[in-house]
Amino acid sequence: MQIESIRLKNFKVFQDITLSDIPPFCVIVGANGTGKSTLFQVFGFLKDCLTYNVGAAVQSRGGWHELVSRGHEHEHILIELQFRLEISKVQRLVTYSLELASRDNRVAVAREILRYKRGASGSPYHFIDFAFGQGKAVVNEDDFNKTEEELTKEAQNLDKPDILAIKGLGQFQKFKAANAFRQLIENWHVSDFHINLARGSKDAAGYADHLSVSGDNLQLVANRLYTESTQSRGIFDKIIELMKKRVPGISGIEPEPTKDGRLLLKFQDGSFKDPFIDKYVSDGTIKMFAYLLLLHDPAPHPLLCVEEPENQLYPKLLWELAEEFRGYANRGGQVFVSTHSPDFLNATRIEEVFWLVKQDGFTQVRRARDDEQLAAYMAEGDQMGYLWKHGFFPEVDPQ
Amino acid sequence: MRRLIFLLEEPSAEAMLRGVLPRILPEDCSPEFKVFEGKQDLERRLTRVLKAWRTPDCAFVVLRDQDSGDCHRIKHRLVELCRQSWRGDLPVVVRIACRELESFYLGDLSAVEQGLGVSGLAGKQDSRKFREPDKLGSPSRELERLTNGLYGKVAGSRAIAPHLSLNDNRSHSFRVLVAGIRKLTEAS
Repeated sequence: MQIESIRLKNFKVFQDITLSDIPPFCVIVGANGTGKSTLFQVFGFLKDCLTYNVGAAVQSRGGWHELVSRGHEHEHILIELQFRLEISKVQRLVTYSLELASRDNRVAVAREILRYKRGASGSPYHFIDFAFGQGKAVVNEDDFNKTEEELTKEAQNLDKPDILAIKGLGQFQKFKAANAFRQLIENWHVSDFHINLARGSKDAAGYADHLSVSGDNLQLVANRLYTESTQSRGIFDKIIELMKKRVPGISGIEPEPTKDGRLLLKFQDGSFKDPFIDKYVSDGTIKMFAYLLLLHDPAPHPLLCVEEPENQLYPKLLWELAEEFRGYANRGGQVFVSTHSPDFLNATRIEEVFWLVKQDGFTQVRRARDDEQLAAYMAEGDQMGYLWKHGFFPEVDPQ
Repeated sequence: MRRLIFLLEEPSAEAMLRGVLPRILPEDCSPEFKVFEGKQDLERRLTRVLKAWRTPDCAFVVLRDQDSGDCHRIKHRLVELCRQSWRGDLPVVVRIACRELESFYLGDLSAVEQGLGVSGLAGKQDSRKFREPDKLGSPSRELERLTNGLYGKVAGSRAIAPHLSLNDNRSHSFRVLVAGIRKLTEAS
């Protein structure tokens, strides 16, 4: 998946912003409180809307008044994503547009549209178009030879006005686009890694495909790579080689089942005979290991969001970590990262960097690529982090 | 001379040198790397590093990418900066990678093949593009395209550099760098 553009209206500090031509690896900087986390919350919010319903997703974020931009409580919240998606074996530029409204203290879907162009020319066609729980969806999306008039539209009623049509219809195979988009969002990974949840022995029962959002299945994911197949073992061994280079003293890591049916990680230090168990290993070591498991995942998430990956890590390691994020994006998953680290930023390219600026209470987005001065310095051999640190990103610093 | 100090503009240059130097340096000479944050940073701090250097018996190599600038002018400016802080007892050599470090790798595509584990590159060495990689506008982009995004600056440099041939590289600036290091270490 590749999100091409994001448009937000009345979503917290983003009263009206558009990010367009978004790169596969997208890095956001900004002072505290400018909305870096909020931008990532958009992805989590959409995922919650789909998993539960819009009402619950809004409620768990403090209700309508906390979510809508201040002073715009009576307007709609708009989230619009444009992305490339394969539907019926053809890559298409699809737009998903979601408008939320608050009516009599209840949040409802005021409009939900999924549209894409059926051919190279022609205006985009609404394959899903719903408002307040009612609407129409096209069922024969496969028939690309048919004219728009000939496409069959089915009128549908959703159970409630705060349920997404892509949830209600996405489970049916006949709604191809809704189905594909639904699966995509379900696989978004907005990382909220907690080192303390990642530590300790874990119940060995169960299967872990990917590292969880909090990282609490680290041992299971490691064990799966370690034992599942020769190919997965190859990936595990590669990760251990990288750990050896980055964490002084580490000479090996092994998952170990305990007698009471649990699983822990043993970290071997070359200088000592007995290994350390994960409970007693440093925060940075656990975090680097978790990132490597995440970034070398053979099946990348379509979307990965990570806030401030630099925390707990030695600055010199960040350049390569940034390259690993980019590599992950190249293998098919788009990556969004926020950072306060010049060292991390030094490894980025000018087209990958955006920054946030707060003006009169609301946030605006700036792009490094659009700044002529930055482009000139970069062409001469400067680095993004250095330029940022020395005040070359206009308006980025707290005033 | 016991120590050779490299003043570099990015971490990938260090990764490259670590793969190449063991084959160039005499046994009694050990390298050290000071990695700055890009061009401005390197130039700003160059004179201060040299002026206040305390350890005796050292020599310096300053290496930076040409990028979009004029090769001779960049070199001249760096030499001038070194001269301003010259103490007579510290030999300094300035070298420019034309236009980027990645020209060194494009100058020896079989090293790229071996290092990154991709095939079918070495045969392209004689194509017009890779006969003189120093003339390419953006070798890093070129290398990324060539390897389908597999090349990352630091990890890629670390993987490729040990395979780089010292004598048979189509990049003129690479050969000049190797010759410069040899001259410095032999002179001592």
